[in-house]
Amino acid sequence: MAAIAQTLRVRPRRDFRFAWLVGPGVAFIVVALLVPLLAIVVFSFWRTESYELYADWNLGNYRTLLTEPAYHIFLARSFIGAVAVSAICLIYAWPVAYFIARYGGRYRLLLVLMLAAPFFTGVILRITALQGLFGPVGLINMTLGELGLPLLTALMYTQLAAVVGHVYLFMPFMVTAVYLSLVNFDFELLEVAKINGARPWRAFVEITWPLNWIGTAIGLVLVFIPCLASAVTPRFLGGPDATSFGMSLAQQFGETGTWALGSAMGVVLFGVSCLAILGMSYTINLRRGGFTGTRA
Amino acid sequence: MTSWSTEGGSAASVALSLRSIRKHFGPVKAVDGVELHVAQGEFFALLGPSGSGKTTLLRIIAGLERPDSGTVVVGGQDVTHQPPYGRRIGMVFQNFLLFPHKTAGENIIFPLRMQRVPRDERDERLAWALKLLRLDGLVERYPNELSGGQQQRVALARGLISRPALLLLDEPLANLDRELRAEMEVEIRRYQRELQIPFVYVTHNQEEALTMSDRIAVMRNGVFEQIGPREEVYTKPASAFVASFVGSANRLEGRVAEVSGSEACIEWNGTSILVPRPLDTAPGDRILFSIKFEDVDISSGEEGGDPGAGRNRLRGRLRDVIFKGQTANYIVTLPDGVEIIASGTPRAQTLRPGDAVVAHWPATVGASFKG
Repeated sequence: MAAIAQTLRVRPRRDFRFAWLVGPGVAFIVVALLVPLLAIVVFSFWRTESYELYADWNLGNYRTLLTEPAYHIFLARSFIGAVAVSAICLIYAWPVAYFIARYGGRYRLLLVLMLAAPFFTGVILRITALQGLFGPVGLINMTLGELGLPLLTALMYTQLAAVVGHVYLFMPFMVTAVYLSLVNFDFELLEVAKINGARPWRAFVEITWPLNWIGTAIGLVLVFIPCLASAVTPRFLGGPDATSFGMSLAQQFGETGTWALGSAMGVVLFGVSCLAILGMSYTINLRRGGFTGTRA
Repeated sequence: MTSWSTEGGSAASVALSLRSIRKHFGPVKAVDGVELHVAQGEFFALLGPSGSGKTTLLRIIAGLERPDSGTVVVGGQDVTHQPPYGRRIGMVFQNFLLFPHKTAGENIIFPLRMQRVPRDERDERLAWALKLLRLDGLVERYPNELSGGQQQRVALARGLISRPALLLLDEPLANLDRELRAEMEVEIRRYQRELQIPFVYVTHNQEEALTMSDRIAVMRNGVFEQIGPREEVYTKPASAFVASFVGSANRLEGRVAEVSGSEACIEWNGTSILVPRPLDTAPGDRILFSIKFEDVDISSGEEGGDPGAGRNRLRGRLRDVIFKGQTANYIVTLPDGVEIIASGTPRAQTLRPGDAVVAHWPATVGASFKG
C-alpha cells in the first residue's frame, strides 16, 4: 500500500518536470514558426494598397497567381531548378559520402567537417566568390581570354550558373545526410550479398541503396526545399532571365510592397514544399528502410 | 610442431582444396601455410581459440580475403582469383546478417534471384527450404520479428537454398543460448547428412566441433596443429596445445627420471608417475603430460589396496564434487595442494568431500609431450 501511495505521489511531479524540458521548445516553435505562418495565411486573403495592408477578405491574390503567366514561369523555373539541383547533389554526394564512410577511417570526422568549411563565411560572400569564378571578368573567362579561347558564356549570368551555385551551396547538406546514413550502415551485409551471388552493382541496388534511402530522402528534402524558395543565389548568379519564385516573392515584400500577394506566394511555396515532402514520404517504408531491423 | 594427416580420396570427391595458403596483416601472420582437403559430403570443423586465424581462413575460402599465396580449389575449379560471387559457396555468420529490409522469405530466395533462377523453381525451392528448416508461417516476417534461433535458421536456409558446392559456417551458434545451441547442433548435423553438402564449420567451442564434425583441424597461430578424425584428435592429441584445448584434461609437468620401452617415468612434485614415452626422450628431459578428466578413476582411500601394476596412484583428499548430471567432476587435492580432477558417473558414489581418496589411471593412457 505504501508503495502505491508513493508512486501516485511521484508520477505527477515527474510529468511536471518533463513539461519544463519541453515547454521552452514548444513555446519557441509556436511563437517563431506557427504564428508567422498563420499570419502569412491570413495576410494572403487581405489586400495591400500603397504599402498598407487592409483586412478586407478576398481571393484576389490567388487569382493573380493563377492567371498571371509570369508567376507560373517563376514557379516552374524554381521547381525545375530545385529538381535539377537535388538530382545533381544526389549523384555527386553519394560517392563522396560513401568514400568517407567506408574508407575515411580515423579521418572521417575531419573530412565531414571540411565539407562544412564553406559555412565559415556568409552566403553572400560565397556567391560572390562564385561570381568571381564564372563572371565575365572571373578567373575562368579571364584565363580563357588570355589564351585566346572563346569565353564560357553559358556560365555568365544564366540559369545554369544559378544551378551550379545552388549545387555548391547545398551539397554539404546532401553529403552530410547520406554520410550519417552510411556510417550506421552495416557494410558486412554487402559481403553477404556478394557471397550469395550478387555482383557489386547488384549488391548496391539490392542492399546499400534501400537501406540508406531514408537518409538520402532527408538529404533530398534538405536540398530541394531551400532551393525551391531560393532568392539570393539566382539574383546574384542567374542574370535577368532567371527570376525565381523566391526572388519575385522577396520583391513583393521589398520593392513593390505588395505584402498580401507576397503572402499568397508564400502559402503556395509552403504548399508545394509540403507536397514534395509528402511525395517523398510515400517512398519511405520504415520496415523496408531497415529501421526496424536487427541491431548490430 | 605441425602435423598433417591429409586424407583426401580421389580428386572427384574433393569438394575443397587449399594449398599452402598464406595471409598476413601487417606483421601478423594470420594464416601461415595451410593445406586442407575437404571431401564431398564431409562435415569439417575448424577449431581454435580466437585469433588463431580460422575466420581469416574461412574468409579466404569465401573469397572475401585474397590470400598472399596459395590456391583455393572449390569443386575442382581454381577460384583463388575469383570474386565471392562466382564461387557457389554458401555462408552462415555468427551475427546472422540477415538483410533487415527483406522478409524471411525474401532473404532466403536472395541467392536464387541473383542466379536468375526462374520463379517457379524459386518457389519450389523456397517451399523445400521452409520445410527442411521448419520455418513455415514465418516467410512474411522481418528479421527483427524473429527469435534468435529463427533468424539463424533463416540464415541457414539462405545459405543452403542454392545447394552450394560448400557451406561455410562462422561460429553460427555463438549468439544463441545454451539450450537452443544444443538443439541447433543436432539440426545442423541433420541438414548436412540429408543434403550431403560439405560443411566447413568454424568454432572455438570444442564441444560443438566434437559433436558435429567428421574431421577436425585444430588451429593455432595460423597453422594447423592437428587435423584428423574427431576421435583421433580427442584421444591422440598431436601437441600439448591440442591436448589442453580439446576435452578437459589435467596437465602435469615433470622431468624424466628413467625410460623403458614405450614408458617413461617422470618426477612430478616428488612423486613418480608412469607416462607414455614421447619419441626420443632421455632422462632429464622436461615432459608435459596431460590426462583427460574421464581417464582418471577415483576410489576411496580406505579400500586402498593395490590398484594393479602399471597404474599411477595419487593419494589425496576429495575437496568437492561438481555434479553435472550425467557426469560429475571429483576434485582431489593432493597433499602438496595441487588438484587433480577425475570425471565419472555419479553412480552409487558414497564419497563425500573431505574423504581420503586415491586418484589412479593406467600408465598407458594420457598424452605426453617434450616440453
